[in-house]
Amino acid sequence: MTHKILGRIGFLFAALVFVSPVVLFFLWMLSLSLKFEIDNAAYPPVFIPEHFAWSNYVKVFAENNFFRYFWNSLLVTGTATLLALVIGVPAGYGIARLKAQKSAIVIMIARMTPGLSFLIPMFLLFQWMNLIGTLWPQIIIHLVVTVPLVVWIMMGYFETTPIELEEAASIDGATSWQVFRMVALPIAKPGIVVSFILSIIFSWNNFVFGVVLANRETRTLPVAVYNMLSFEQVSWGPLAAAALIVTLPVLILTMFAQKEIVAGLTAGAVKGG
Amino acid sequence: MASVRIVNAKKNFGAVKVIRGVDIDIADGEFVVLVGPSGCGKSTLLRMIAGLEEVSGGEIYIGQREVSHLRARDRDIAMVFQNYALYPHMTVSDNMGFALKLKKAGEQEMNDKVARAASILGLENLLERLPRQLSGGQRQRVAMGRAIVRDPQVFLFDEPLSNLDAKLRVQMRGEIRALHRRIGTTTIYVTHDQVEAMTMADKIVVLHDGLVEQIGTPLELYDRPDNLFVAGFIGSPAMNFIDGRIENGEFKAIGGLALPLPEGLPAGKFAGVELVYGIRPEHIRAKADGIQGTVDLVEGTGSEVYAKLDCQGQAIYCLFRERIQIEYQQSLCIGLDPSLVHIFDKATGKRVVV
Ligand SMILES: Nc1ncnc2c1ncn2[C@@H]1O[C@H](COP(=O)(O)OP(=O)(O)OP(=O)(O)O)[C@@H](O)[C@H]1O
Ligand SMILES: [Mg+2]
Repeated sequence: MTHKILGRIGFLFAALVFVSPVVLFFLWMLSLSLKFEIDNAAYPPVFIPEHFAWSNYVKVFAENNFFRYFWNSLLVTGTATLLALVIGVPAGYGIARLKAQKSAIVIMIARMTPGLSFLIPMFLLFQWMNLIGTLWPQIIIHLVVTVPLVVWIMMGYFETTPIELEEAASIDGATSWQVFRMVALPIAKPGIVVSFILSIIFSWNNFVFGVVLANRETRTLPVAVYNMLSFEQVSWGPLAAAALIVTLPVLILTMFAQKEIVAGLTAGAVKGG
Repeated sequence: MASVRIVNAKKNFGAVKVIRGVDIDIADGEFVVLVGPSGCGKSTLLRMIAGLEEVSGGEIYIGQREVSHLRARDRDIAMVFQNYALYPHMTVSDNMGFALKLKKAGEQEMNDKVARAASILGLENLLERLPRQLSGGQRQRVAMGRAIVRDPQVFLFDEPLSNLDAKLRVQMRGEIRALHRRIGTTTIYVTHDQVEAMTMADKIVVLHDGLVEQIGTPLELYDRPDNLFVAGFIGSPAMNFIDGRIENGEFKAIGGLALPLPEGLPAGKFAGVELVYGIRPEHIRAKADGIQGTVDLVEGTGSEVYAKLDCQGQAIYCLFRERIQIEYQQSLCIGLDPSLVHIFDKATGKRVVV
C-alpha cells in the first residue's frame, strides 16, 4: 500500500521536473503578453502585472495583416494535410500489405532528411513554374514533411490489422477496393485521426519553408511573428501575444486529441524498427 | 450445396513443398474433417480451397465448376477463421449481413436472412452489439452466422474451437454438428484434435507432411488404420507399437515377449520380415492366465484406470474401463484379443492385410 503511494509521489515528482520548464516558459510568455513595456524592463521582474495590457493583443490584430496570415496558414496547413492523407493513407496500406520493406526505408529516409535540403532545388523549380507569389510552393513543400509522416503512421496501423479480416471480406465477396474502403480503412480510423492531427501540428508550426518561400502576401503565421522581430525596436508584449495566438489553435487541438496523439506516437515507436 | 473434388493439389512456398499431391472426393452435404499434426498443411489446403492461397498444381472443383484459379470472392464458399475475424467496427447484424450488402441484396431480404440465422444460433438479443462486447462463444456463433447467411456451396472451418475453453468446446462441437444436420451444407473442417475429428466427421482425412495418409469414416480409421501414422494418430491414449518378427506362428517381440497373432494371417509369408505389432490400450484386459508384467505406472480417473506395464522389458500401456485394484510394482497378467490386433510392415509402415 505504502509502496503504491511512494510510487505515485515519485511519478508526480518526475512529471513535475520534466514538465515544469515547459509550463514555466508558457506562463512566462503569457505574463509577457499581458504586461506593458515598463513592467517588462522592471527589476525585480514583475510576474503578475497590476494592470493587464490587453492592448498588446489588440495591437497584434491592428498593426499586422494578421487575419490574412491566419488565412494563409489555414490554407497551407489544411491543403498540405488533406493532400497528405489522400496520398499517404493508400500508400501506407500498400506498403504494409505488400510487405514492401524497401519503400518503408525510403519513407524513413524521407522523414529523417532535413526539409531544408529539398528547399533550394524546389525553389528553382517553383520559379521555373512561375508559382512564386502563390501559396502553392509552401503547400507542396509542406507535403515533404506531411506525406512521409502520414505514410509512416498508417503503415504501422495497417500492419497491425489482422489479415484474416481482409481475407474474410474477400471471401464475403468484396473486391480489393471494397476490402480497403469497407474493412481496412474504418479499422484504421484512429490512425487516420492521429496522422491528421500530427500533420496539422507539424505543418502549422513549420517556419523555415515559409521564411524562404513566402513574400509579404503569402506569409504564414509563424513567419509573420518572426517578422515582427525585425522592427527597429523589439516590443516584447505584442510579440508574446502574437506567439500565443499562433500557438493557440494547435494547443487546443492537442488538448482535445491528446489520447490519440499518444497512441499514434507509441504505435510509431514500436513499429520503428 | 455442392460436392468438392480435389485432384492432385500441390502447394509450394518457394522451395518448400507444403502440399505434395492431395486427392480428396467430398460428396454433396458431407461433413469432412481434415486432421493431422501441427504444420502438416491443413490450413494451407483449406486456404487453397477457399482461394486465399494460389495452387501450385492440380485442380479443385466445387460442384461441376473448376475453381482452382478463381478469386476467393467468386467461389461461393464461406469460411470461419480460428480467431473468428469479425469486423470489429460493425455490429453483429452488420457482420452477418456484410456479404449480402456486397451482393446489393434488398433491405428486407437482408433483415430476413440475418434474423433467420440469428434465431438458429440464438443470437437474437445480440444483434446490435459490437464484436468486442461478446464472449468467445458468442463470437464463435456470430462467425458461423456470417457463414450461414451467405447460404454458400461449402462451409470451411479452420480450427474454429481452439480458442474456447474445454467445456465450451464440447458444447460448440455439438452445435456445429446440429447446425450441419439442419442445413446440410457440405462442410470441410480443419482441426488437429483427433477427438473433434472422431466425434464430428462423416469422413476423416488424415494429413501428414502434405500427403493424405488415409480417408475413411471415424470407425474405419479406428478399426483398420492403413498405416503406422494413422494408427498412432487416431485413438487416445495412443496405440502400443511393438517391434518384432513372426516365428513359429507367434509374434516374437525384440525383447523375447511372445504375443498372439490375428487369425488368418498368412504367417509363412512374413517369416523374417520386420513387423510392428499394434494393440490399443483399451483393447487389453486383465486376465489371470495371460501375459505377465510388472506395473510401472498407474493413473486412475475414476471412470478408468491407465497403467504402464513392463512385460519382459517391453512397455505396454493399458486402459481398463473396469475399476481394478492395482499398485505400483505389482505383478499383473493381461490378455489381448487377437482379432483387435494390427500388424504393420516396419519398412513401409503399411498395414499387413488380414
Ligand atoms: N506463407 C507461407 N510461407 C512459407 N511457408 C508457409 C507459409 N504458410 C505456411 N507455411 C508452412 O507450411 C506448413 C503447413 O502450414 P499450415 O499452416 O498449413 O499447417 P497446419 O497443418 O494448419 O498447422 P496448425 O495445426 O499448426 O495450424 C508449415 O510448415 C508452415 O511453416
Ligand atoms: Mg492451421
